[in-house]
Amino acid sequence: MDDFTWGMVQIVGVHTILGLSAYVILLTGQVSMAQAGFVAIGAYVAGMLTVLAEWHIIPAMVTGGLAASVLACIVGFPALRIRGLMLVVATIAFGEFVRLFWFNFDYRIAKGDIVVGPEGGEGFKQIRFFPENGWTTQDVAVFVWVVAAIILATLWWMDRSRAGKVLRAVGEDEMAAQSVGINLTVVKVAAFTAGGFIAGIAGAIYAHYTTHIEHLNFDILMATFAIAYPILGGLANVWGTLFAAFFIQVIVIEVLRDLGDVRNLMFGALIILVMNFLPHGLFSAKVVRKLKEWMGIGKMSDA
Amino acid sequence: MLEVARLSKHFGGVRAVDELDFRVEAGEIFGLIGPNGSGKSTTVNMIAGIFAPTAGEIIFDGVDITEAPPHITLHAGIARTFQNIRLFNNMTVWENLWVAQNSAKQKRTGNPMARWMGGSRRAAAAVEEFLEFSNLAHKRDELAGNLAFGEQRRLEVARSLAAEPKFLLLDEPAAGMNLEEVKELDERLRVLRDRGVTILLVEHVMELVMEVTDRIAVLNFGRKIAEGTPSEVQQNQAVMDAYLGAGEGGSDA
Amino acid sequence: MEFVDYLQAVTDGVMQGAYYALIGIGFTLIFGVMNKINLAYAAAAFGGAYASLGIAALIGSGDDFGLPPLLMFLASAVAAGLFAWIVYTICFRFTPDHYELATLMATVGAFFLIEEIAVHATDGEPMDFPEVLQGIIEDPMIEFSDAFAIRGDLLTIFLLALIAMAVLLLLLYRTKLGLATRAVAQQRTAAQLCGISVDRTNASTFIIAGVLGGLAGAMIGAAVGVLSPLLFVPLTVKGLIVTVIGGLGSIPGAIVAGLLVGGLENVFLALRGITERDMYVMLLLFLFLAFRPQGLFGKKVLRD
Repeated sequence: MDDFTWGMVQIVGVHTILGLSAYVILLTGQVSMAQAGFVAIGAYVAGMLTVLAEWHIIPAMVTGGLAASVLACIVGFPALRIRGLMLVVATIAFGEFVRLFWFNFDYRIAKGDIVVGPEGGEGFKQIRFFPENGWTTQDVAVFVWVVAAIILATLWWMDRSRAGKVLRAVGEDEMAAQSVGINLTVVKVAAFTAGGFIAGIAGAIYAHYTTHIEHLNFDILMATFAIAYPILGGLANVWGTLFAAFFIQVIVIEVLRDLGDVRNLMFGALIILVMNFLPHGLFSAKVVRKLKEWMGIGKMSDA
Repeated sequence: MLEVARLSKHFGGVRAVDELDFRVEAGEIFGLIGPNGSGKSTTVNMIAGIFAPTAGEIIFDGVDITEAPPHITLHAGIARTFQNIRLFNNMTVWENLWVAQNSAKQKRTGNPMARWMGGSRRAAAAVEEFLEFSNLAHKRDELAGNLAFGEQRRLEVARSLAAEPKFLLLDEPAAGMNLEEVKELDERLRVLRDRGVTILLVEHVMELVMEVTDRIAVLNFGRKIAEGTPSEVQQNQAVMDAYLGAGEGGSDA
Repeated sequence: MEFVDYLQAVTDGVMQGAYYALIGIGFTLIFGVMNKINLAYAAAAFGGAYASLGIAALIGSGDDFGLPPLLMFLASAVAAGLFAWIVYTICFRFTPDHYELATLMATVGAFFLIEEIAVHATDGEPMDFPEVLQGIIEDPMIEFSDAFAIRGDLLTIFLLALIAMAVLLLLLYRTKLGLATRAVAQQRTAAQLCGISVDRTNASTFIIAGVLGGLAGAMIGAAVGVLSPLLFVPLTVKGLIVTVIGGLGSIPGAIVAGLLVGGLENVFLALRGITERDMYVMLLLFLFLAFRPQGLFGKKVLRD
């Protein structure tokens, strides 16, 4: 495969992680339009750690994720008091707030004969951990997918465990969930925190493979992608998100590129179509059940 | 076991519940009846922790649970069902019970590792028991939303039992049931009482209430107008006036 | 800054806030009737303004704009009303009523669709919007002193917006259509029992909101002098903020909040500059969410 294809593999991997970050939060019935903001935090923090403090990518990535999760936790608490559509507006505003913060953030230091660091509206250039350490595009793609696979596996396992059922119970009916003893505060804040952590990881990787980030990367379009993958793919399991990220990034955006620059047009039309004909996404609970019956496998109660 | 004292709830200027007092003794089935809009559901929601009372207090097993949110009242030992069934519709019957079972267990098993490892096997065994008890074993992998109405009612009761409560709040469990199903419910409630579960039954279906309860309190316009055994209540003039006078008016609060 | 400078900033801002108020009213109207948010609303409103440019270009030739100023506003309003109806049909009409995630997502899809059509139709270039207001008011400034003046174009926009709001309130409180709209907003099932078609009421609410939006879109075009797809997102965000601060579903709330946000925003601009201005607007929203989540005029939210 050539570098372009490996680059594609990287993009799908990062977008899968991005979608999974929203997936965890959506399971509890909360719509977070702040994911792009969490991605931005992970991207800038990890970028500063590798560029300015010369850390290795892995601790920098984890720290970026933790920084984003702290912010997400802080967002999670007020999110308890507001719900539904108010939460959508609040998280849109929060995401934009974070973007504007980086727009105004300027912290550069001299490194040899060049000056590096985030430079407000000019963005953060020269995040060169991968090229400096001799990682090829292929190496990076493998790295992205190792991380993506770990997150996918963790969430898949969580889905089948008690924790997954608790998240879903809250998403189905908050009052009923409380009445069976589930503490809404803990569950919702935990979902936000986990979602923030995953988004921060996505941001850390994103910053390093593009080597140049600016605040405009983390706009509402990115926030929309984050929730679009799990919603279009369906919330029955993690595979829907994986499939949607692949389908949109590869089929809609790359393969149809020859049709001219109609990516967002296709994206918009696709969302409307799916929501009209498959409102619960491609792999909804009902569809997945039918598939399992058809294949005669995997009764949940055997787990 | 449960003591409600001077309990009041005002919505704006409306006194949905006004200075209500009653006691439920351990091991009995206590009925709460009254015309539509008399404040029964509001009372249930205050005990369960959904609404914070405007005034008064709720003591359960010697503990003040007046301000406790729903998950705390559950862990104190009070489980409930809802007037309009609230199941986790896109989860299976088995999952509905499992999530409730585990949530209750979680509080009692201190060790988190034990909770995750051994706890879940014991929980799964307990879920089987509740599936059997509510006669839903053959539907275990059905989505709750796809069940028939009567089955959904049974599942909701089973889900509340899965928390292994000492006290059960049943909000109109017989609504929409046919006579045969009401009989079944009657038997189940007796079985539960014999197992040591105290029950507060809010109900409109008089055949059930008069049959199964030990004592009854009657509400009208948020106030208690009578209390006693079923036969005492049936002969009470104020109760007859309330039911005849209020008739079909208003919607339930 | 001296006091008179603040006064100038607030005055300009409040008058510009008129179009925030109009957009906020649109969001709030739709929320009031359907209990859902239409994220494509501001995009459809600008779609109207773009359409009015298109119509003018078809009729006129070269530098000569084919439409007199007021007709531009009218064309924008009608086109936006049509777009709003289309958005209703493709995003609300057939998506499940109880599952708001589907509707929300569909309106996001519609947002990108409209934005992208605008980008393609104009090659992504900002379009000059005719300075129609010059034709309305000869002298663009009403000067009180050297330091304080009221801009004629802003004043015109402000007055136009007030007229539009007054017409809307008359429509809601003095006509049968308005009665039906309010009935559906308050008690949907009861309204249905009275023979009101919820679908028709929803559709007409979208059209009314769209017309207001189209007016706002043309006003913004006239005030800024250009139309650009880059305006879609910021105006959507501002409109939503105004809606929440005003209280979801409250029309007076949206008006007051629109003027408030407009006024404060201009002060933030004067104090901290353009790059930081919107951060403070967001902070204002967070303050409201923390201390008064029901907004200025909203009903108090119960625990249920």
